[in-house]
Amino acid sequence: MADILGIWIAVFLTMAIYSFVYKENPWFRIAEAVYLGAATGYVITVDLKFLRDQWTGVWSVSGPMAMGFAAALLVGVLWYFRFSRKYFYIYRIPLAIIVGTGIGQAMQTIIFAQFISQIRGQISMPLWVAGDALKSFSNIMIAIMVPCVLLYFWFTGGYKEKTPMKIIDRIARYTMMAGFGSAFGYTVLTRYALFIGRCQYLLGLTPNPPEAFPAFVTISAVILITLIGRDVYRTRIKS
Amino acid sequence: MSAFEKLQNIDLRWVYLLVWIAVLGPLMWPLGLPVTVGRDSSTYYNYINDMPDGSVVMFTFDYGVSAMPELFPMTVATFHQLWSRDFKVVVVASWVDGPRIMNMVMEQLKPEQNYQKVYGKDWIELGYFPGSEVGMAALAKDIHGTLAVDYIQNKPTSSFPIMQNIKTAQDIDLIVAHETGTPGLPEWVRQWVTPYDIKMIVGCIGVQVPEVAPYLQAGQCKALLPGLTASAEYELLLRRPGIALSGVDAVSMSHILVIALVVIGNVGFMMARGKRGS
Repeated sequence: MADILGIWIAVFLTMAIYSFVYKENPWFRIAEAVYLGAATGYVITVDLKFLRDQWTGVWSVSGPMAMGFAAALLVGVLWYFRFSRKYFYIYRIPLAIIVGTGIGQAMQTIIFAQFISQIRGQISMPLWVAGDALKSFSNIMIAIMVPCVLLYFWFTGGYKEKTPMKIIDRIARYTMMAGFGSAFGYTVLTRYALFIGRCQYLLGLTPNPPEAFPAFVTISAVILITLIGRDVYRTRIKS
Repeated sequence: MSAFEKLQNIDLRWVYLLVWIAVLGPLMWPLGLPVTVGRDSSTYYNYINDMPDGSVVMFTFDYGVSAMPELFPMTVATFHQLWSRDFKVVVVASWVDGPRIMNMVMEQLKPEQNYQKVYGKDWIELGYFPGSEVGMAALAKDIHGTLAVDYIQNKPTSSFPIMQNIKTAQDIDLIVAHETGTPGLPEWVRQWVTPYDIKMIVGCIGVQVPEVAPYLQAGQCKALLPGLTASAEYELLLRRPGIALSGVDAVSMSHILVIALVVIGNVGFMMARGKRGS
């Protein structure tokens, strides 16, 4: 029974969220509030579990360790001064610690991981791959396009007016447009994939629970009727 | 308003209705369009397949439930391949929803019944670690200290047989990351791949492909499984048709619809402009 109830709630929330494509409505607002509340509650619960596990597994073994744990908790609590107008500045302490450690951690390897390795990858790429004309074409295009895009952002002012740079600029623009087009195409693919996955659930296709399908038919009918009915009622009131 | 101008101003609700039809139709009545296995999915499959027995594989959930429709099929398929081999599998999550998704993977695959994999000996779930990149760096240096207790049995990580020889990043042979954003591949590359020379393969949502592709070319990521269609190809390679394969017809139809709408909109725009010009 609990499983069936869960399925109906899942279908209701899905359809309530999708009802937004008709227009903003109370079903959508209910689902939106439930989603935000449930997601926030879940995150807090998992974070608290992590804290508990850290305490029992690592930090409770000795007095100094326990004090270190308490100090970390204290720094964590300072985040809440974000909500105080008077003591707002205290919130900057944990912010500075988090941002500082994050940047410091990333900077240790960023030059190697995201700069030198990328350049090395570009240089070591073979222009001709035996038996794979498409790959060869792709590699040659990358070898031309990447430097062009870099030059597009490096040279400004007078250089732009000279013929070689005009050609490079044009290649760079086409390259960037191809990149944006690819990104947009993949974005569409992802949005559809998310929608398809949800539809598979609504239709109860294996391995999703088959009970979802009757729930989908019933709930979508109720939501649609109430939305259209609300519109008709409002139109009559106005007229 | 002329017919061409009307074409550019179709009420979006009609478009949404068409989308529902284009997706629900093929799901209810499959068309059976052919699926060919691409280079990406076969590279991903072969990379796992070529790992020697006894390898230690760390699977990381870098996505939440919102990305499940696209990534869950490939996650299930990957665990099928991992558990079909004699690997030691360590499961972690840099995204908070990871453990919940892992519960669903276990419900579907039942590792103990179907693959004879004993929890704590052949595989372990260490759960979510917060802190994003800083958390990854801590995990690399000390797995037992960062994730002190396992997720399923709530016992100390060091008490499990599988974890006796898995203590730092250097004890891991391969990271398999399924991801949607930050933290994700760049953070793993900065904290694990570059400093410890760990091999990494990735499954990601389509949106992320242009961001991940340079890492593939540079060899920092050894294989990339991009999106739902690649998941379907991967299921074919595993000879285990799943939910991704059943969704491919809907992907094709929905893309045909998008192309048709783009063409209609542009034809309307150009014709209306031509009419104004004349």
